[in-house]
Amino acid sequence: MAKIKVTITVNKLKHQLDVDEKETLLEVLRDRLHLTGTKNACAYGACGACTVVVDGNAVRSCLLKPDKYNGSEILTIEGLADGDKLHPIQEAFVEAGAIQCGFCTPGFVMSLYALFTENIKASDDEIKAVLEKHICRCTGYEFIWDAAKLAQKKLQTM
Amino acid sequence: MNYKEVGKPLLRTDAVEKVTGKATFVADIKLPKMLYAKILRSEYAHARILSIDSSEAEKMPGVRKVVTGQGCDILFGACIKDQPPLAVDKVRHAGEGVAAVIAESEKEAEAATKKIRVEYEPLPFVIDPLDAIKKEAPIIHEKNHLYDRVPGYPSEKNTNIFHHYHQVKGNVEKGFSQSDVIVEEEFYYPLLSHVQMEPHGCIACWDTSDSCRIWASTQAPFIVREIIGHMFHIPLANIKVQVPYLGGGFGGKSDVSIEPMVAYIARFVPGYPVRLVLTRKEAFTSSLLGRGMKGKIKAGAKKDGKLIALKASFYYSDGAFGDTGCNVVTATGFVATGPYEYEHCEVDSYGIYTNTPPVGAYRGYGHPEAHLMSERIINIIARKLGISQTELMRKNFLSDGKVNAVGQTIRKGNGDLYQCLDEVEKALYSEPKPGDDSEYYYGRGVAALMKTPMMIPNASSGAIIKMCEDGSFNISVSGIEMGQGCQTTLTQIAAEALQVKPEKIRISKEVDTQFSPYEWQTVGSITTLRVGNAIIQAAERAIQKMKESVGQIAHKPAEDLIYEGELIRSKSDKNFQFESKLLALSYLSPEGHGVGEPIETTGHYYIPGVNFPLPDVGGGSCCGSWTFGAEGAEVKVSKKTGEVKVSHLAIAIDLGKAINPMGARVQMVGGMMMGYGAALTEEILFNEKGIMKNPNYNQYKLPRLSDKPEKLTVKLVETPDETGPFGARCIAEHPAISIPPAIMNAIQDATGVDLFAIPVKPKDLLAKIGGGRDGKN
Repeated sequence: MAKIKVTITVNKLKHQLDVDEKETLLEVLRDRLHLTGTKNACAYGACGACTVVVDGNAVRSCLLKPDKYNGSEILTIEGLADGDKLHPIQEAFVEAGAIQCGFCTPGFVMSLYALFTENIKASDDEIKAVLEKHICRCTGYEFIWDAAKLAQKKLQTM
Repeated sequence: MNYKEVGKPLLRTDAVEKVTGKATFVADIKLPKMLYAKILRSEYAHARILSIDSSEAEKMPGVRKVVTGQGCDILFGACIKDQPPLAVDKVRHAGEGVAAVIAESEKEAEAATKKIRVEYEPLPFVIDPLDAIKKEAPIIHEKNHLYDRVPGYPSEKNTNIFHHYHQVKGNVEKGFSQSDVIVEEEFYYPLLSHVQMEPHGCIACWDTSDSCRIWASTQAPFIVREIIGHMFHIPLANIKVQVPYLGGGFGGKSDVSIEPMVAYIARFVPGYPVRLVLTRKEAFTSSLLGRGMKGKIKAGAKKDGKLIALKASFYYSDGAFGDTGCNVVTATGFVATGPYEYEHCEVDSYGIYTNTPPVGAYRGYGHPEAHLMSERIINIIARKLGISQTELMRKNFLSDGKVNAVGQTIRKGNGDLYQCLDEVEKALYSEPKPGDDSEYYYGRGVAALMKTPMMIPNASSGAIIKMCEDGSFNISVSGIEMGQGCQTTLTQIAAEALQVKPEKIRISKEVDTQFSPYEWQTVGSITTLRVGNAIIQAAERAIQKMKESVGQIAHKPAEDLIYEGELIRSKSDKNFQFESKLLALSYLSPEGHGVGEPIETTGHYYIPGVNFPLPDVGGGSCCGSWTFGAEGAEVKVSKKTGEVKVSHLAIAIDLGKAINPMGARVQMVGGMMMGYGAALTEEILFNEKGIMKNPNYNQYKLPRLSDKPEKLTVKLVETPDETGPFGARCIAEHPAISIPPAIMNAIQDATGVDLFAIPVKPKDLLAKIGGGRDGKN
C-alpha cells in the first residue's frame, strides 16, 4: 500500500508520519501514537466513541482519511485536562454520574467540547442534536444530559 | 443504623481515569512481539465442511500461521462440553469461526483470510425454537446425548433439546379445576444483542506448553481459567488470566466467549502474544446473543382474585452451542410465576439448539422472559375478573411467610413489594391521565418483578486486605468493574468496615487469577452482596489482629480494646490510645524487635444453604437471595402511525440498603432504558439463508438520547436484608426485567390491544387497534 507523508499536531505535539493511504485518524491515534483514550466501537461512524476535535470540529476519527487530517490540529481526550486539573466538561461528567463503563465517555466529552467552544450558549436542542449522535449502553442518557447542562453552566461561569 | 460511608453519594472511584482516557481496556494493551489474529467465518447457517485450503493464505505478506479446526478434538463448555474452538466437521451458525490467520498486523491477517478456500455442503437449518423441536427438524448436534455434561442437565437423544428443566409445586390440574377464570396465551421474546460498547477482545500467550497468560474482556476470569485448563490438560495454577477495565458486560462477556478460541490458536505460535479484537459486526454474529424465547402460559384464579394455578412452557432458541444458555433455561423456571403466590405451578423450560450464534446470559438471566408472561397475564386476568390489576397484584404478592414456586418461604428481609408498588403508583398516577386527543391514545401500565441470582451452590467471592504503613489499605478483589460501579460501592463497604475515609481505601483495579482472590464470576448482580461480605469478613479479621497486637504491646486483653479506625483505645483506660498504622508491618518496638503479625487478612463469602434444583420436581433451596421491585410506564400511541412514545418510566426497588444511592440511580435508569430497547426497538433478525440481517448499529436500533422519556422516576426502598453487607441486596440487572410488560400493559390501557410479542411494531399495533379503541370510538 502506498505511503503518504502527513504532518499533524496532536494535543499540541507535532508529528510527522508515513501513513497508509487508507489509514484512518483513529488508527493513527491508537496504533501509532498510542493515544488509546479514543475508542473504537464500530469503525463506521455510527456510535461516536472515536470522536476527536480536528481544527475545532468534532469528527468521527474512524472515518477520517489522510487527505482530511493532514496538516490538522487535533485534540484528543488525553489533551483536555491541565495536568491533574480536569476540564470543566470532564468535571461535570464525574460529578453528574454520567460515567459507567467509560467506553463511550471520551467521545461524548470531545463532542461537547467542540460544541461549547464554538457556542457556549448552545440551546438545549443544539446540545441534544450533538448527543443524539452518540451511543451509550449503560447510563440511559439521563446523567449524560445532566452532565452536558452542568458543563455548560460551569463554562459560562468561568 | 447510622453509617459514615455507606449510603453516601461517593463519586465513582474510576471516573477520573475514564474521563481522561487513561482507563485501560483489552484493546489498549500492546505487548512486545504481539501478533494479530483475524477469523474467517462461516457464511452458512448450517453446513458440512468438505475441505479447507489455506495454502494461498499462508503465502500472504506478514502471515505467521493459519490455524483451522481440522483434527481438533477439543470440546469446551462449563455445563455441557459441546463447543469446539474452531469449526471441525461442520458449521452450526453463520459467523462461526472456521479458520484463523495470525499475522504481524490486523490488516495483513484480514487480507489473508480472504485467500482461504472452504468448500461447504449446505445443510437444512433452523432458527425458530418451535421448528427446531419438530420431528423433521435438522439435527444440529448429532452427539447431543454423548457430550460430557454436569449432572442434572438432561438432553433428549436425536433431538435438538439439550436441556429440559421441569418444576412442580402442588397439582396444577387440580388447581385449574378449582379456578373460576382461566387465561391462556403465547408469548415471544426476540433474540437480542448485548451490544456492549467495548467489542470483545482477548490476548493469549503460551510461555511454555503448560503455562499461558491471557488478557481478556471477561466477567469470568476464573471460568476462563477453568475452561482453558480443561481444554489443554494443564494445571489451573499455570494459567494467568488478567482483566483490565471492561467496557460493558451485561452477561455477554460470561461465562466464556472468544477466549477458548484465542487460546487455541495462540498455541500454534508459542512465545508470541496473539490478539483478537472483534469488529462490531463480529460482536453481533460471533460472540453471544441473549433471550430468544417462545412461551406458553395458562393461569387460573378464583372469583375473589386469589391466584390458584399456573402452567408455563418456555422454548429457548439457544443457538449453535447450548452450554451458554442452559442455566438461563433453569433460572426462567424459578420465576415463571412472577412475584406472586400460586398454590399450584408446573413449569417446563427447554434449551434448544438452533442455527444462530450461541445464546447466553443477558442482563436478567431468564427473568425478563418469565416476567413478560407473568406480568402481562396478571393484567389480563384482572380485566377478566373485573378488578384492578394492582389490587390483584397486592392480593397475591409474595411476602413474609408466603411460599414461592420453588418451595422457599419468603422472609420479611427479602423486601417489601407492597411499598415498591405504592411508590410506582404514586409516581405514575400523581396527575390525571391525559384524555385521548386527535393525535394520540394515552395509557399507563405497571408490572412487578423479582429476581434471584443463578449460581452454583459454592459460588464464592474472596477479598484480601493489606494494611500499608501509612494506615491506607490495599484491597484485592476479583469482582469485575464493567460499568456497574462495584469498585465504588466496595470502597464504601471497606471504608465503613475499617472505619476509615474512602481515600484510604484502594480497591484493586485489575484482576489477575494468579494474585487476586477467587471469584466465581461477576454475574447475577451479586458483587455488592458477595464480595461486600467477603470484605467485611477480611476487615473483621484485620481488626481482630490489630487488637491482638496492641494487647501484646500494651499488656491488655483484646476484649478491652476498641478499634476506631486510625486509633485503638481501651475500655478500662481512657487515656490509652494507640495508632493503628504502627501495626501494619508488625509493630517495631522501641527496644528494636517486632511484635505481632503484619495486618494482612483474607475474607470469603458464599451464600449458605443453596443447592442444585431437586431432581424430577425441580425447585428446592436453589435460590440464594431475592430482590423485589415494581416498574411502570406511561405511553402515548400515535393514532396515525401506531408509534409508541414513552413519556415516563418508573421503578421502585427494594435494595435493602443503598450503598451508593447515586450509583444505584444511574444503574436503575440505564437498566430501564435497556428494557425500553427490548420493548420497542431491538430485535436480531435473520434472512432466508439464516444469516443475520442487522449486525450493525444502523439497523439494530439501540435507544438514543431522543428515546429517553421526559420523566424517569427511581425510588429506592430500603428493607434491610440481614444477610447482605449493611443490609444491601442485589439490584444491577433488575431494572431491565419488567419494563417491557409495563409498557405493554400501558399500551393495553391506551388502545385496548393486548400484545404478546416484542418489540412492539407500530404497523402491527395500528392494525390491531383497527377502527379505534375498544368502547371508545
